[in-house]
Amino acid sequence: MMSDFHKKVNDFIISNSDQLIHNVSMNSVERFRQDYSPKFKFKNLLSNKAQLIFLISLGVLFLLIFSYVPLFGLLLAFKDGDNKINVFNTLFNGEWVGFQNFSNVFKDYNFPDVLKNTVCLNTLMLFINFPAPIIFALFLNEIKHKKLRNIILNICIFPTFISWMTFGGIFLSLLDTNTGILNPILNFFHIGDPANPINFGEPQYFWATIIITSLIKGTGWGSIIYSAAITNINPEIYEAAEIDGAGRFRVMLKITLPAMLPTITVFFLLSIGGLLGNNFEQFYVFQNAINKSTGEVLATYSFTQGISYKRYSFTTALGIIQSFVSLLLLLGANTISKKITGKGVY
Amino acid sequence: MINSSLSYALPFKKPKKVWNSRFSWSDIPIYLCFIVFALITIYPFWYVLVGSFNTGSDYLKGGIFIWPREFTFANFEYVLLDLRLYKAFGVTIARTILTTSLSTIFTAMIAYSMSIHGTPGRKIAYWINIFTMFFGGGLIPYFLLLVNLGFYNSFFVYVIPGMYSVFNMLIFSNFFSGISKDYRESALIDGASEFTIIFRIYFPISKAVFATVALWTAVGCWNSYYDTMLYTSDANLWTLQYYLMTIVKQLNLPPEIMGGRTFGDEISAQTVSNAAIIISSVIILCFYPLISKTFKKGQMMGAIK
Repeated sequence: MMSDFHKKVNDFIISNSDQLIHNVSMNSVERFRQDYSPKFKFKNLLSNKAQLIFLISLGVLFLLIFSYVPLFGLLLAFKDGDNKINVFNTLFNGEWVGFQNFSNVFKDYNFPDVLKNTVCLNTLMLFINFPAPIIFALFLNEIKHKKLRNIILNICIFPTFISWMTFGGIFLSLLDTNTGILNPILNFFHIGDPANPINFGEPQYFWATIIITSLIKGTGWGSIIYSAAITNINPEIYEAAEIDGAGRFRVMLKITLPAMLPTITVFFLLSIGGLLGNNFEQFYVFQNAINKSTGEVLATYSFTQGISYKRYSFTTALGIIQSFVSLLLLLGANTISKKITGKGVY
Repeated sequence: MINSSLSYALPFKKPKKVWNSRFSWSDIPIYLCFIVFALITIYPFWYVLVGSFNTGSDYLKGGIFIWPREFTFANFEYVLLDLRLYKAFGVTIARTILTTSLSTIFTAMIAYSMSIHGTPGRKIAYWINIFTMFFGGGLIPYFLLLVNLGFYNSFFVYVIPGMYSVFNMLIFSNFFSGISKDYRESALIDGASEFTIIFRIYFPISKAVFATVALWTAVGCWNSYYDTMLYTSDANLWTLQYYLMTIVKQLNLPPEIMGGRTFGDEISAQTVSNAAIIISSVIILCFYPLISKTFKKGQMMGAIK
């Protein structure tokens, strides 16, 4: 016979069977979660998928505000907003002037000079400053003394982390007409006249200043990425080459250089895309009242025209031309590189 | 056979590495070139250091290249007693710390969501991101936007617009997509939210990438003066580099030392500028061991990717 107690248990099971079956079917994790997690937690508000969407849309929202809204401001290039106090009013309600601003850019008195400086200087830098880190990495690899190699690398990287204002300030005082050291050095080699020291602030020295300071500041740092490519080379290849009797320079040209080629291609394409861009901070340091004729490039010119003289529409038109040409250059270079080497940036 | 078995029996002796074992005469020009290059890199700093310890009037006579001729602390005194230096210091430190921490965490969180397969709208978001790398509004529209948003002459112009960087996002998501999916899935089974996964699993795993991106952002913040020139006209918002610019380019200097004229023989515009340069680069020098170590590691990682 069933006891009283058993009967009660039986009744309970029968009456609550739905609930009990549900409890058993719940997996242990869920049960744990329901029992022990406090009710109001962020994860209870949003499912995991919603959290991911939330994060992605935060990024998109940021870009919409700070990168896509300015695209709307490009319309200013087709309106007359130069020297307007209320530019926003012009942007929204101003009359269309067609390509007036673009023709203004091409008719501008300084524009040919600025364009010439930008293109020539950047092309020069593409030929001098672009290969420099590659050569640096190639020859640094030849230094077998590890400690010395590290010391040299650490010294040569240091200027990268110094601001252009500091670094430029140092060079301004090195190149000073009266107190600088370059004039005495040149005089030592019988170049120039000690009584008539050279003023390196003059226009004809500007490009050299820019190229040399970029070399000193950027070469060591730029070489690291190529050195990384070198360390990925299998040492057995070197051994095999040595056994085959390859000389040092042949090894460099036939093994080390090809290993760096993919990295070189990508950086070369990117620097072709940047052929119209310059580092404002670098140029602004070395510019002075007399070297504007060779020292003004697009980056600094748009600053003076747009911010100092408030020629908003003119500068916007200039910017559109600049970014279109840069984009075309990058795309063109990429297509050519894909055809020749089968590799591109994207 | 015998030889090889013998070598096992012998106690292991690390072969002494003779660094010039493969030294040849063709090494010498290479070594020389590098030593010269390193000297060219180092010497300018020494030159400025020497100049900053020399009296102003004597410096103007020229010829101070190796050691100060008339030693003085007056240049440093002049710079260090300038209250604007400390204000600029404060602004720069505040902006560097705020921007670096906010930008790194914010960008990494978005990069995480971009790196997870199966996030709805991931592809569209990816192209929205990529597009901004190739085409932008340019200087004036961006400037007008920030002015319109009320960032002109506000400290937040240093922080908010730099909160998110597409380039860093790509670096992060590149690294995150290399992390095994199993970590995330097991955490999901344990009922973790995405934020828990980010902060407890992904961030600790990718510390090295974090350090690299954070340091790069910090150095960038510390060194820029362009944004100060563009977006502020208030001397309270000067950054250290902008303050340095006013000294180096001899703007806003008291008329006594303008144009190289001396100020009681002790200081001149050039020696003061040298002292300011030294002060600003010593700070980077203090952090340099940390910076170079982190960067070399990070850069190597980026190359392998």
